[in-house]
Parts: sequence; C-alpha cells; structure tokens
Amino acid sequence: MGLISSIKIAKRALTRRKTKNFSAILAIALGVTLMVGIQITTDTLENAFLTSLLIREGEVDIRFSNGTGGFLSAADESNISALVPDALAIMSELQSSGPAMIGSQFEPSVSMAGIPLDYNEAFGNFYDWDTGEVMDISTYLADNSSVLLSSSLAEDMDINKSTELPINLTTEFTSITIVPKLNESTGFPILNETTGFPILELQITEERVILSITEIFDSRRPGIGASYRGVLFSLDAYQDWMSLQDPLRNKDIIGAYLITYQTDHFSTPIDETVLQEKFDALEERLPVKMVNDQEVNVYAIDSSRLLYIGLIDLIFGLMSSFLNVLGLLIIITGILLITNVQLMSVEDREFQTGVLRAVGEKRGGIFRSMLFETLFQGIFGGIFGLVGGLIFGQLVALYLVSLFGSGSASVQPLVKESVVIFSVIVGVILGMLTGLLPALRASRVNIVEALRGIKITFEEKSSRNLAFIGVLLSFLGIFFFLNNGIINRNLQYIWLTSGWDNISEWENILLGAGFLFTGLGIVLSRYISRTKAFNLTSIVLWGTPVFMFVVAMGSGWITDMSGSSLNILIIAIIEIVIGSVMLVGMNLPYIMRFLRSTLIKIPGVKGVAQVAPALISSHKTRSTLTFAIFAVVLTLNVTVASLVATNIDSTVGQSEEDSRGIDLYVQLSDPEYNLANTSYTTELYRIDSAITDVIGMKTFKPGSTDYTRYVATKNPFSPDFNPQSNLLPLGFGELRSDQILGDAQNATDDEDWRFDFYMYNLPDGVRPTSIDLGASDEVLLDQSKRAWDKFFDPEYRMTAYNITLDLENFDISNFGGFTASTLEEVDPILDINGSEVQYPIVFTDSFLLPLGMPIWIPFNTSQFGFPVYQPFTIGGSFDSDRAGGWPLSRSMQTEGFSSGSFSGTLGTVYFPERFSSYTDFFGMADELSPDKREPDQFDTYLIKTTYPFDSPAIEDVAQSIEDFTNTKDSGYRKLIGDEFMVATATSLYSKLEASLEMMEQMTNFLQIYVNFGLIIGAVGMAVISVRNVAERKREIGMMRAIGFPRYQVMTAALLELMVLGFIGLIIGVVNGLFVNVGFSNMLDVPVVIPWGTIGAYLSFITFIGLLAGAIPGWVASRIPAAEALRYVG
Amino acid sequence: MFHSNDSEVILKIEGLHKRYNEGKSNEVHALRGIDLEVKKGDMMAIMGPSGCGKTTLLNMIGHLDKNSGGEIHISKIDTNKLSDGQQTAFRRDNIGFIFQLFNLFPFLSAVENVETPLLLQGYNSGIAREQAKMLLRDLGMGDRLYHSPMELSGGQQQRVAVARALITDPAIILGDEPTGDLDSTTSAEVITLFRRINKMNKQTFVLVTHNRWIAEKCDYIVHMIDGKISNMEMGPFKEEK
Repeated sequence: MGLISSIKIAKRALTRRKTKNFSAILAIALGVTLMVGIQITTDTLENAFLTSLLIREGEVDIRFSNGTGGFLSAADESNISALVPDALAIMSELQSSGPAMIGSQFEPSVSMAGIPLDYNEAFGNFYDWDTGEVMDISTYLADNSSVLLSSSLAEDMDINKSTELPINLTTEFTSITIVPKLNESTGFPILNETTGFPILELQITEERVILSITEIFDSRRPGIGASYRGVLFSLDAYQDWMSLQDPLRNKDIIGAYLITYQTDHFSTPIDETVLQEKFDALEERLPVKMVNDQEVNVYAIDSSRLLYIGLIDLIFGLMSSFLNVLGLLIIITGILLITNVQLMSVEDREFQTGVLRAVGEKRGGIFRSMLFETLFQGIFGGIFGLVGGLIFGQLVALYLVSLFGSGSASVQPLVKESVVIFSVIVGVILGMLTGLLPALRASRVNIVEALRGIKITFEEKSSRNLAFIGVLLSFLGIFFFLNNGIINRNLQYIWLTSGWDNISEWENILLGAGFLFTGLGIVLSRYISRTKAFNLTSIVLWGTPVFMFVVAMGSGWITDMSGSSLNILIIAIIEIVIGSVMLVGMNLPYIMRFLRSTLIKIPGVKGVAQVAPALISSHKTRSTLTFAIFAVVLTLNVTVASLVATNIDSTVGQSEEDSRGIDLYVQLSDPEYNLANTSYTTELYRIDSAITDVIGMKTFKPGSTDYTRYVATKNPFSPDFNPQSNLLPLGFGELRSDQILGDAQNATDDEDWRFDFYMYNLPDGVRPTSIDLGASDEVLLDQSKRAWDKFFDPEYRMTAYNITLDLENFDISNFGGFTASTLEEVDPILDINGSEVQYPIVFTDSFLLPLGMPIWIPFNTSQFGFPVYQPFTIGGSFDSDRAGGWPLSRSMQTEGFSSGSFSGTLGTVYFPERFSSYTDFFGMADELSPDKREPDQFDTYLIKTTYPFDSPAIEDVAQSIEDFTNTKDSGYRKLIGDEFMVATATSLYSKLEASLEMMEQMTNFLQIYVNFGLIIGAVGMAVISVRNVAERKREIGMMRAIGFPRYQVMTAALLELMVLGFIGLIIGVVNGLFVNVGFSNMLDVPVVIPWGTIGAYLSFITFIGLLAGAIPGWVASRIPAAEALRYVG
Repeated sequence: MFHSNDSEVILKIEGLHKRYNEGKSNEVHALRGIDLEVKKGDMMAIMGPSGCGKTTLLNMIGHLDKNSGGEIHISKIDTNKLSDGQQTAFRRDNIGFIFQLFNLFPFLSAVENVETPLLLQGYNSGIAREQAKMLLRDLGMGDRLYHSPMELSGGQQQRVAVARALITDPAIILGDEPTGDLDSTTSAEVITLFRRINKMNKQTFVLVTHNRWIAEKCDYIVHMIDGKISNMEMGPFKEEK
C-alpha cells in the first residue's frame, strides 16, 4: 500500500480514536506550552530590565561633551552637526544636580536640566502626568523661576495628580563671585603693594532659590520626558542659574549636545551594532587640539544606550543562564510526557497493527501511517501549545508585575516571533521523534502474537550493536577520568588525594563515572540481567554526585571551589535525577511486591492490592516515565525551596553574630559640616547613652553622567581603551585604620580591634594556597585582619594579574568576583623588563571586580577637570555574609535594579585614607570642587549600641537620630544653620528584613518558574490517567466480571497514579535535599528542610492524583462489563 | 417456557429483552423475550448462528450488562432488584465466568489470577494462595503456577480460567465459547474437565458454543435464532463414532 493509503489509515486512526488522539495532542501541547511559556517569561524579564533603562535614554543615541572638561558653547553646535551629517536631530542640554525641598520633603540630590524650548521634535514629546496629553513646555517655562517636575520625583516627594499647582520648590545654586579681600580687623580691602589695586579672591556661597513648579510631566512614559527624572528648566533659565558658578557670569554654557539618528526608539529600537559602528567611526574623526604638547580630543562622546545595553546583557546573562538550566530541566518533563503518551499508543494498538499486517500492509506502510498520525498530532499540539504558552506567558508576566512592581522596571509580556516559531517547530519535531520509536516498534510487531493479544516484551539481553555503544561510552568515561592529571596537567591524578579537592576535578569525576558506568551497564546487560546491570549504572550515577555533595563538600575534601560551579551543578543534578529514576524504575517490581504484601492485609482493598501494583510493574517503562516527570520537577522544586529556606534561616541566625556589634547605620544626604566645636559623631553620642561606638566613614557615588569619576577597568592611556566597555560607575569609599583597627597596631593585636571586618578574597601574602571552605570564623578573622594590615601598609604593593573585564566577554560561569580565587592559574602582568607589575591595593564589594585585577581610579577630578588615573590592584573583596561586608554591601538586595541606582547596584571600591587627598570628593585636591571635604567630614556612620541586635529599642535610637537631624530649625540643622541636610538611620535588623523580603520575591519568582513543570506534570498525570483507563477497558471488564466492586475498580486506577506520584515526590524530595546539602556545604551554612513546602507538594500530588485518577476511574467503573470485555483497542 | 426436569430450579428467566442503542436510529433488539429454566446440576449448551443473542443472554445472566425488560431469578433471588454493588457481590459469590479469549489478567501469574476472586471475598492472602494452588494442581497445572498467561498455551490458559471460575465454588458457571480458541484435542480435554466438575460438584454449566460436538457433551441444547429460543434438544446425545 502506498503513501495515500498510509495517510488514509492515519486519518481514520485520528478520527476514530478521538480521546486517545486528544490526549497525545494535549501532551504535545503541554510540552510546547512549557517551551513557549518559559521563553516568554525569560524574554519578558530581560525586556523589562532593558525597557526600563531604554525608556530613560529617550531618543538620545550619542552625547557630545567637552573633551577637556568644562562646558561647550553655542558655537560648538555647527561643528558637531558637521561631524554627524547622518544625524536626524541635535539638541543642546545643560544638566547638573542639586538639593530640592518641597514642603517638608527633602531630596539631597535631584537631577536638574535645562533644554531649549524649541528642541527638535525628533527627541519626542512631554506628556502631562494628569491628563496624558502632549505638553507644550514653552507655556509652562515662561521665566527662570518656573520649572517642570517629573512624575517620578513627584511620587518621591509625596505629590499626587490631584495636588494643586503651582507649588514651591526650594533649591540651592553655587554662586562664585570675585570680591576684594578684606582686612579681618579693619574690614577694608587689602591693596596690592605693587599695583595699589585691591587684592581679589573668590567667594563661594550657596544661593537658595525658590522656584515654582508649574506642571508635572510623565517620566515613565516613553518620550523625552522619560530622560528627565528630576526638575526641568528652559535652557536659558538654567544657564542663568548655572552661570552663578562663573565669576564672569558667562551664560553661553552648554553641558552636552545630544544626537539622535532616528525617532521613536522605544517602538523601533535602533540596531545596537549599527550604533556601535557609528560611534566607533565618529570617535575616529573627532577633531583634536594640542594641550601641553599633547593631542587631546576637542569633544568627548559617549552613548549610555550602548553602555546600558552592555550592562543589561551582562547582568541578565548571569540570571538567564540560571533560568535556562532550570527551564531545560523542566522542558525534559514535557519530553517525558510526550514520549510516555506515544509509547502508550503503540502498546494499545498492537492488535490493529497485527490486523493491518495480516491484510497485507507492509512494515513501511505501518511506519508511515504512524508517522503521519504523529505529524498531525504534532501540528495540532504545536498550535494548541502556542496558545497555551501565550496564555501562560501572559499570566506569568502579570505575576512578575505584582512581584517587581510597575515602577521604572515595569513588566510587559514580550513575545518574540522567532521564539514562538522555534518552540512550535521543536514541539512538532519532538512529537514526531517521540512517535518514531513507537512507530518502529509498531512496524515490527509479530503478526501472530499481536493478533493473539500477546504483548510485546523487550529482549532481556542487549544486542551486539548496543553493547558496542556501551564500549564507546565506557571509553568516553575513561577519557574524562584521564583528563585529570594526564590530559590536563593543571589537574591532579584521580588516584591522589589532591585529585579530589577541586571543582574542576570533580567535573571530570562526575562525567567520567557517569559515562563509564552507563557504558559498563550496557555491556554487562548482554551477559547478565538488565536489572542487575543497570542497577550498577544507576547507583553510580546517583551515588557519585550525592557523595560529592555530602561527603566531599561536607567534610572539606573540596578545598578549591574556583571553577565552573554552574557546570558542576547542572551535571550533578542531571546525574542525580537520571540515576534515581533509573534505580527506582529498574527495581519497580520489588517495590510493587512490597506494596502488594502490605496492602493485601487491609480488608476491602485486597483486590486492589492484587491488581494495581502488578499493573505498575508490568508496564515498567511507562510507569517509570510517569514518576520520572514528577521526580525531575520535584527535584527542582525542592532544591529551590530548601535552598531559600536554608539561606533565609542562615541569614537570620548568623546576623547577630555577623554584625559584630553594629546595630544601625546612618547616612547623611551630604557630608557633615566641618564645625568648630563639635562633629556629627559627637552629637550622635549625645543622642542616646546606649550608643557605645560611632564609626564615621566617607562614601561617594558618581552621578549618572559623571564619567570623569568612573572606575576604568583597562589602562585609560592604552590605545585599546574603550570608554563604553571599560568604564564602570562604581561607588567609592574611604576606610581608615582607626575605623577598623581602633587602638590596635596590627593583626596580632587581637584585643583592641574596633570592628571585625571579614574579607572573602585575600591579597598576596595572606591568601592561602587552597581555599578551605570549612575554615572556622577565628581562622577567617585572622586572615582578614592580616589582609587589613596589607591594606593600610603604605609600602605594600600587590601584583596585578592578567585579568581583564570587558562587559562583552564577562566570564559568567565564574560569576566575576563572586568566586573565591587562589589566582593559581593566572599569570601576573609583566612590564617591559619582565618584572611583575605591582600596584597599591583597594578592596571591593563589587561582583564585577575579580581578585588580582588592575583598575584605574580617577584622582584629582572635578566637574571641570580631566581625571588623573591611578592604578590599583583589587586586593580583596568583602565577605558579604559577615561583618563589614554585610551592612555595607547590601544595596543590591534592598534597592535592586528598579531603583535605577547603578553605582549602588554595581558595588563600591574602597581605598585607604592616604589616597583621599588625591581626590576632590574625599579630600581637597581641587579647592573649587563643590564635593571637596575636610578629613573628618563623614557621611556614613556605623553605630554600636548596648541593645541586642533585634531589640525594638534600636528603632527608637534610629528615630531619635532622624529627629535630631531632620527637624526644621532644631537639632543638627540648627547647629549647621542649614535645612538642606537629611539623615537616614537604618537598623541592621530592618535592613535584614528588607533583604529577606527581596530574597523572598526572587524566590517566589523562581518557585513560579519551577512550578511550570509541576503544573505540566499534573496535567500530564491526568492525560496518562485518561489514557490508562481508556486502554485498560478490557481489564476493567475482566475485573468487573470476576466480582470487583466499582469502588475497587476506581481505587485501583487511583492507587496506580498516587503510587507513581508519591514515588516521584519521594525521589524529588530526597534528591532536592541532597542537592541542598551540597549547596549548604558550599556556602558553609546549616541545612534547613522546608517541611512546609514539602507538605504542600505532598498535598498537591495527593490532590492531583485523586483528581486525575478519580474522574477517569469513576467513568471506567460505570462502563458495563460486557461492553468493556468487547474492547479490543 | 423451556425447562429441563423437575429438580430444583437454579436459574429462571422470564420475558427477557435486551435492546442496544435504545431509542436511537441504530437500535438493535438483541433479545426478544427469553423464557428459560435451568435446574441445579444441569449442563446446558446454547447454540445458534452469529448475532442471534447467545453471548448477550449469557451477559444478562451474569449481570455483566443491564437488560431492557424481563426477570432473572438465580437461586430464587430476583437479581434485577439487586443494587449494582449487590449484583457484583452476587456475581462474585455465585457465578463463574469462562471466556473464549480466557480474559486472564496478563500482568498476574496463573496462581494470582486464580486467587483474585477469593481475595475479593476477603480471604486471607495465604489461604487464598493455598486454595488456588490446590485447584490448579487438581487441574494439572501444578508446574505452571507462577507462569504468566503469555507463557501458557491456549489450553493451559483455559484451565487457569476454569480454576478462576471454580475457586469460589459458584452455583452457576457461564462459558462463552470456552473452547472457541482451542484446537480439537484441547477442546475435548476442556469439555471433559467441565463434565467431571459438573458431575462431582453438582455445579450448573451454561455454555455458549458453535460446536455441535461440544454441545452434545451437555445434558441439553437450547437453540436460538434472532434473539429468541427456537427449540430445545434433550440429551443424552449419541457418542461420536
């Protein structure tokens, strides 16, 4: 019979076997739903981050500023226009920042900008926050005291849409005037002895100005308004105010010229590569001028769009690789489901296949007709799955909105065409591939046996071809073992103790054991029974990673965790899941025998006990696939659940110990005033007698456009330095030896240390050669103290290692600076004489900066000057779980990405006091800088009290500090005579609660993500149940005929599903807990078992099992026995 | 009314009707008013062309299907009036089934198939197992106790099916073409076995068959045409030469 007849047979099979085909289509649809849904979720999340950042960029592609610092002028516009002939529009802008007070609300630093009222419309529109209509800004910015407010700032200042406008906004501008120097005693000008003219000097004052907010624009809506998150002036007005800084009052000042190559970037994003090319080309043709015999660019260009895209790629790369691993494992459940249902189809149809063969259909014909059938199923399943995936994706996106809020990181579901097409095609192919094996089996049925109803059983012994594959796999396994020490000389031989002590060696051990014993199992199964052969394989597959997690990591065998921890996690989870499923599957008959012998003692279910376990073990493959679905999904669920429980518990439990006495910290909106008789620290001691120690510190965060204060990750004077990828907006901090050491002289002076500040990565000379994860707190503290000795030692230099960080090639698998490093395999940088290059060290809490990497910090910079870069080596990173690193580097968890505070998110670089005087933000390098500071002008204070860590009294202390600092006309404000000062006092306990909340949000998201699989598993269970009952009609008829009551028929159907569900649950829980033991051992925290969540899963499985089994079981029990007995499939 | 002799009536059928797809265009009137009496210890054969309603009648007697009218009395109990649960229990305790395709559970061994009805009656599993073994040994299956049905020949499978039907010592054994799937030698063995049990235990046999030779081994033969009993032949029948 030919192609047509195959199609006809397939068509008949499809139309006649409606329920069964429906279940196959449903299985494929679920698989595709899973793939589409997972992709939509990941894309949506990425898009949400990207969108929030791109909205801010508005239509600006490239920004021109003065190449040597300072301002541009109106005359530059024609020059710049000539440089970018392909630009769509150009716009001038003057931007800075200052304090703002509206009513009693105060913001210490608000972005302020002036733009021309007749700016080119290509840059987009402003929209009224209240009405949503396009605004003509010229009607609101009539004079230099009229400003517009962004809706984001309005929300921060407790202004809502119904607030009556105009309202007043008070701010300050620096005013510099040239005045005659006066004689302090006489009050008369001092005259120059030679010229007789008065001696002049600069007088710097802060001029307080009251402005009128005439309207509020929507800064969350795509358009030009989204680029301005603070206060907006007309360009002329802002030039008026900014010119106060210039003693000559020159108003022809432009901060930057903004270039756009297209309009409506939001709905039609610009091609990143094209923009990069334009940027690079532009950089080449920038005009130069000679300054001090050096060629310098007249203009500097930057593109925050390109920078942000790079950052987003980097941050999301980390996240998506983790999500993809989870997603992949969840998708496997979909594949298991489809295979299971397809396998049922063949078993179910052996009789018909026998008839077809008997009436003359060839093997090829059977094969073709089944393939056509699966093709139809694949196409329908793909289409339904697409719809399901879209719905699923939308629902998850909605959930994400509730999770992350609809603020600046608003979440819009993103459906990429390519993803959809790919997923559907994969679904269809998957449907067909999983149908291929059954089709092959069908085409090979023994006609006589099929007609007699004898079910086909697999050969008990493996074929020669299979054994050959086994041999190949064994060799592959041996290859991985040999990789340790023989092929890869950096690793140690497996027969040495040192060959078991690092992650990379274990990667090969896991892969080697996995492949070798899988191969051996296959080969052995040719000579001994399959069960015995594959029991060996499965025990090794499951046992090796469990041994690694529990023993090797638990008893400190693995001392070096550097390496691909993500890889090892993926490999270990896959091996654990396969091993456990295979082990249980192979021994299913024994387990079922035990189940039977237990149940058969219970009156009323003896018939069920006789039938249900036997049914399960008689369909070993199918039963195994069924519980495997749950085993995979629940392994992930329990892993995620227990991981989070462990983290949260360890965080709370360890916090008091880890805070090392610090109970709260205070941040001032500006550095404290330099008062003659007192200091903020002194005042703090006076507020509450419970305050026992106040550690003042200096911190600084560069503004979003303040590129001259960004850290360079590559030598800025080298030709391959690229400002787009080699500048990072990190924060700065100054640490003094008295803040850390107190009265102690050095590390050996144990008693007098003021603050136990733990380090994670350590500088040369302190760092042990291997990382001991089991090291005690005392050992870690001792190492940290010695690291601090190096930090404060002016003579100490550390070798710079050959580590570079480009945002384009960030090493995701190593998580940058997150991983503990020994630097053993990294080469030092050598100078032209071959000597190691050494620099002073800085410490950091940024995950972007790995140990040993050289960085360049801009010194002696001001708004008006070009930075002088000083190289440093990253000498260590803070232990973010313990004292020091903990209160200072929590910004990521509490602020997250939505706050838009990038420098807060990316971390801070800390250097010792002796470098402060080279900067104008910690010292006095440039007297003109408004950020200049005296030595004791702190802004951040770590405070110890006599109260316990979680005492509510600490909140009262915090409140007293805020009252003292933030109350109008009294306390600190009265002392300094300035209302523009705000303190934020945070107890570490409340900060901890906030970070737990953030962690919980992330967990909830991960849970939802892995619950995808659980839902699919549940629906899959229902599909399998319906199929089981449909296929076993005849058996049900037999049961009824020999006297099985209806309830026992139903119970048998139920029990089968429940047992398989529970087996999956038990495997999942056991595996999840073992993986978690591994995690806990890695992080050196105690394991916490999430009994609540496990209980929830137990209830879920019971509920689903009952629901999925009861309905088809009930239907089955209602079928008249005579009808059921006539059933032939 | 067709009846055999004067001893105790164990099965009495009055005006039995069965319609499939009732009220629909494709309605089939399979049984059109059957009246029948069977005495305890009788061995009766039902013969007739395909589609005449033989199997349907058997299913009605065993309550594997619901009838559309009429009454069935087994051991003087109007089984129609029993609830579904009671009918199931009644079937389990009083009726044994033997099918043409044996209908053994493929996933249970021979002895497990046989012991299942006893377990349903609530027997201790050890006792049930012992009884099943004894019965299978009696039927010459002592060396095949733990074989799965797939590993047994047709005759052996039918012996297991017979053992399963007999294990609860039912009053009536219903056989639907019990030798239909067997060769003539095995068929002879099986029918001889039935006759032996019938004589020994005084158990009533109702056998549906196409095979005249098998039917003649019974006490009498009921002939059916188009859902009705057309006539009855009383035995003994002459031995085949």
